[in-house]
Amino acid sequence: MRIIACYKYVLDEQDLKINPENKTLATDRAAWKISDYDRNAIEEAVRIKEQLGATVVALTAGPAQAKASLKDALARGSDEGIFIQEDALRGADPAVTARILARAIEKIGDCDLVFCGEGASDDYAQQVGPRLAVLLGWPVVTYVNRTQLEGSLLKAERKLDNGMELVEIELPTVVTVTGDINVPRIPSLKQIMSAGKKPMQTWTLADLGITPDQIVSNLRNESVKGAVVERKRQIFKGDPVETVSQVVAALIKEGTI
Amino acid sequence: MSEEKFDCIIVGAGPAGSTAAYELARQGLEVLLVEKGDKPGSKNMMGGRLYCYSLHRIIPNFWEEAPVERRVEKEELSFLTEHGAMTISLDNEVLGEAPSHSYVVLRADFDAWLAGKAEEAGAMIATGIRVDDLLWAGGKVCGIKAGEDEILSDVVIAADGVNSLLAQRAGLRGELRPEHVSVGAKSVIALPEKTIEDRFCLRGNEGAARLFVGAGTKGAPGGGFLYTNKESVSFGLVFNLGALIKAGVSVAEAVEDFKFHPAIRPLLEGGEVVEYSAHLVPEAGLAMKPRLFTGGMLVAGDAAGFVINTGFMVRGMDLAVTSGALAAKAVIAAKEKGDFSADTLKIYEDFLRQSHVYSDLEAYKNVPELLEEPDMYTTLPALVVDILTDLFKVKGNPPERVQKMVMRHIRQKTSFWKLAKIGWKGARSI
Ligand SMILES: Cc1cc2nc3c(=O)[nH]c(=O)nc-3n(C[C@H](O)[C@H](O)[C@H](O)COP(=O)(O)OP(=O)(O)OC[C@H]3O[C@@H](n4cnc5c(N)ncnc54)[C@H](O)[C@@H]3O)c2cc1C
Repeated sequence: MRIIACYKYVLDEQDLKINPENKTLATDRAAWKISDYDRNAIEEAVRIKEQLGATVVALTAGPAQAKASLKDALARGSDEGIFIQEDALRGADPAVTARILARAIEKIGDCDLVFCGEGASDDYAQQVGPRLAVLLGWPVVTYVNRTQLEGSLLKAERKLDNGMELVEIELPTVVTVTGDINVPRIPSLKQIMSAGKKPMQTWTLADLGITPDQIVSNLRNESVKGAVVERKRQIFKGDPVETVSQVVAALIKEGTI
Repeated sequence: MSEEKFDCIIVGAGPAGSTAAYELARQGLEVLLVEKGDKPGSKNMMGGRLYCYSLHRIIPNFWEEAPVERRVEKEELSFLTEHGAMTISLDNEVLGEAPSHSYVVLRADFDAWLAGKAEEAGAMIATGIRVDDLLWAGGKVCGIKAGEDEILSDVVIAADGVNSLLAQRAGLRGELRPEHVSVGAKSVIALPEKTIEDRFCLRGNEGAARLFVGAGTKGAPGGGFLYTNKESVSFGLVFNLGALIKAGVSVAEAVEDFKFHPAIRPLLEGGEVVEYSAHLVPEAGLAMKPRLFTGGMLVAGDAAGFVINTGFMVRGMDLAVTSGALAAKAVIAAKEKGDFSADTLKIYEDFLRQSHVYSDLEAYKNVPELLEEPDMYTTLPALVVDILTDLFKVKGNPPERVQKMVMRHIRQKTSFWKLAKIGWKGARSI
């Protein structure tokens, strides 16, 4: 069995700063990381491999610096890493990303299960998984909290706003996972060392037979700005009994409690 | 590489470890560099001043490719009282002449670059991994243990910084003594490039290094520093830990108060603190030097206590680079002999003795004694500031003769005898 775990290499949101003058994001001192839920996707693929035996291919598409992510993806237990280098992908339309990943998955071939994160930790568009499924002509199960594989039957628990949904589905399928599905491992020294020896490939769009006109984005990113929440600056003074009820009243008015 | 064994495992990707890894990998040895931070530099103090000569010997003109901030061409030393400051300022283009110049660097960037050089040269780097212990065989170190994983090597270089766990595990040193270390608290304060240039009278890539003695540390032994980066300043205080404990001063509080000193406040005005951290600095030099080798193991950089703190400069990175390179040289010599016993590895200490590391540490070995002198931080700054204040102030009273005024201040604040003692200590130690 071959399982593909798709991931996005994103800026670490903890390192983002907001320029006070124009509210734009200062990203120059921010580190890159594998997007949070995508780590869960890799982890789930690797857990299934460890239980049932499989090959896990970690797949990412992005600008040149994303290549550095392969070692991390491999240290997390994937067996092979494939990176599709395309600088135009910076801030891309999820439709374009899905198109590229779908082609790559077809090229890899002989694959039964694709894991994605429910959304990326930068734009959280939640689109790549479902779009990928459409392009592959496969079903998709989103927001999955638990998986169990029995032969070619996948039992998945979906976490929805108002409850859980249990679904059973025949492979092949695309699955998007939540952050609760597992706790991604922190790679050990030996895992990091072995990552360097695992196969890594870099493909271009040409390798996938994709022409530049096929990756023209329909989505234009005008700007990204930080939201600054002003504090209310209300101070309640005086008799504790009275001030407490004032505070409670104010909080109720704000809808906080 | 045979699957399980490296020629050398280096613990810590600071300047010492990365330099050692670079030198060894360049010679074709199989090297593993292990760093506990998620990235090299991520656990390091964010800014500092790198004296270039030592790394220049290893990577000529490295500053042309390394992420450096500003080249220091302006040196200022200030004596501070609670309200005043007396500053000596030196502008000289000669200060910027390669390779005896210095750059301000942000460690997160610089350390990552240097570790990257080692990786490019062929070293394997593993980050996010804390080494927990050493492996032993036949009384010799033969590898490391990290979590469940055990990895073997002919030699381990402990470049794991001031609080070297490995040197301790190997029995090469005991616990750190408070009087042997300082604690440094540093913040990076963002300011627009133009503001920095205007405020510190800098052009283009020029940078300023400022040091402060006196009120900043609330009279405790130590000092303040401020270095200009491109778009921020690295600012902070260094205290002798022993003295700090005795004086009962809170570091965080002292740093906050220091920002509001009349000589400092205008320099930081409008800036935003973007990073803050605290770290130890070894400062007892040769007095705290551990044993530097044992069978299968060497100790380099801060782990060996190789830092010079003269009160007007902190130099650790340049010594870390040289000691890392010399540790690599010793490993190569041992490999040629095929013998990694203490008897062969002791050549490391000979290399150090022939290098600037020992002569520098030797030259400044009495400095700690001078720096312990409490008058340095209270009486002296008050003396210079008050004398000069009286000199420049016009009160409309009949003027006091300068000589008499100076005598009066000396008598009020101290005595000739005490001044002479400090003067003698100063002359002896610097
Ligand atoms: C406030 C302050 C200001 C300073 N200013 C200057 C200056 O201006 N100029 C200057 O030259 N020097 C300065 N220094 C000193 C300088 O920072 C050090 O001397 C220098 O960093 C030493 O390099 P190193 O490689 O020996 O150790 P470090 O840079 O400390 O590197 C040690 C590395 O080992 C890693 N490590 C530790 N333990 C383990 C473990 N068990 N497993 C894996 N990894 C581990 C750490 O994460 C770290 O990355 C300053 C120090 C301080 C605290």
